[in-house]
Amino acid sequence: MFFISTMRWDGLALPQKFIFVDNFIRFFKDPNISVALRNTGIHLLFGILGVIPFAFMLGFFVSLRKPGFQVLRTIFFMPSMISVAALAMIFLGLYRPDGMLNSFLESFGLASLTRVWLANKTTALGAIIAIDIWSGIGFYSVLYFAALSNIPEELYEAAQLDGAEYWTLMWKIAFPMMLDFTGVVIILQFLYILSGAAQNIIILTQGGPGNATLTLGYYLYNQAFLTQRLGYSQAIAVLIFIVGIVVILTIRRLSSRFSY
Amino acid sequence: MTAWVARMNQKIRNSSNIFLAGGYLFSIIYALIIVIPLYFVVISAFKNNSEIISTPLDFPASIDFKKFFQAQMNVDLLRALIISSVVTIGAELVTFILAFPAAYAVARIQTRLSVVAEAIFSLGFLIPGLAILMPIYLMVARAGLLYHPIALIIIYPAFNLPLSMILLVGFMRKLPRELDESAVIDGANVLQIILYIFLPLSSPGIITVLVLNFINIWNEYLFALILMDSNNRTIQLATALLRSSQRSVDYGLIAAGVVISMLPVILVFIFFQDKIMSGMLAGAIKE
Repeated sequence: MFFISTMRWDGLALPQKFIFVDNFIRFFKDPNISVALRNTGIHLLFGILGVIPFAFMLGFFVSLRKPGFQVLRTIFFMPSMISVAALAMIFLGLYRPDGMLNSFLESFGLASLTRVWLANKTTALGAIIAIDIWSGIGFYSVLYFAALSNIPEELYEAAQLDGAEYWTLMWKIAFPMMLDFTGVVIILQFLYILSGAAQNIIILTQGGPGNATLTLGYYLYNQAFLTQRLGYSQAIAVLIFIVGIVVILTIRRLSSRFSY
Repeated sequence: MTAWVARMNQKIRNSSNIFLAGGYLFSIIYALIIVIPLYFVVISAFKNNSEIISTPLDFPASIDFKKFFQAQMNVDLLRALIISSVVTIGAELVTFILAFPAAYAVARIQTRLSVVAEAIFSLGFLIPGLAILMPIYLMVARAGLLYHPIALIIIYPAFNLPLSMILLVGFMRKLPRELDESAVIDGANVLQIILYIFLPLSSPGIITVLVLNFINIWNEYLFALILMDSNNRTIQLATALLRSSQRSVDYGLIAAGVVISMLPVILVFIFFQDKIMSGMLAGAIKE
């Protein structure tokens, strides 16, 4: 990857030419890079903030083991069992012009809100992010459930004797104990959005309409396999790799500083 | 009656109950948001297209398997199922044959090398698929395996080894050391210890690993997309392709493909739910 990123190589059958850092300098001239960075930033922001707090709260609620918690846990976990291809196809059925989402809105008298969700510049990225939020909350809530189950029962009981309510237990006891784990969860979700989430875009929107869903991950795929600029695509891969390492180290730092 | 109302008011005023009520409310709303699209896609597979649009959530008036046959005609689902099965079984076997002895070595042989090996396997989690997509494509092309299912059988174990190793090592470390010590005294060699003691005793851990790998391999899309061609589609590729096989979207057709592709995983999930959850958690915590 690092090696190819220093090449001009515009097609498998064509010769490679060593151009050192020219591919990286091209980043500054390529307007798509700034669009991709912006879209990736939005994706990360909503894909993490829209998932982790809810996953923690639902995970805490399920970990109280009130009646029905096993059913909830099973349902929350189901999206994680579905392949990206099937998931994308399911959401295609929701987002289509005559799909389920629009007919739902119409039946509630909200016809003015109906959209061509995936083909509309303002909603396409949101529609893609919504898929990741939909499945992410469930997956991470089950992870939180299992991690929270390791907190000793006596801790909650002692706090409850002092008159603490569930809400206090959740934020004053469970949340501080989960800080390290939250760091891990954020890293997992971060890596997923940076890389794996591009698959939904490959299947559903191909970066479009226009550049609306062009993310770094999709741009890498596009340059490598559709326009066959192999050298440049690997320069994007290096960029993703560096962003990833920097953010992971930062999160590690933060979570170890706050947990003591 | 009024006494009951007063008592209920008292209860509701108790903020713990408000918390639980809120918890149930949000959990049930989210559960519905998950279940409704899944229900929608499953029933759509048995309907005709005008029904899907006019009454998306109604149960089909008559169960109709026409879309499944049509999907078979369009993208040859059966062939895709066979290829997916071959790839999954092959990759499962390769993963297991590599992971099991390696896990034994890391768990039981105490050298600096085994510590390093374990750390490297944990790092494997952090490699994003997209970053290695192109290098793997080039390697496969150079090996002359492009568009051949064997490529997937070789590549997938590399993705599944980290989690397999971590789970198996964790499981084996819990087995008492006296077991192998007494076996050594009885004159068993390493191979015999692995085959006759560790293999049977680790079977709960092995089942977890096999189940998780099955789901990962069966569901994989990205690498199959670039490494396979139209003659060797996996079921995931075929499902995604149903969308573009016609100019206007025939959603019943897509739904039929989705149902077929999900069926094996759903069956596995029903039987091994707890193992799947505990295994995925162990992986996440280890990272």
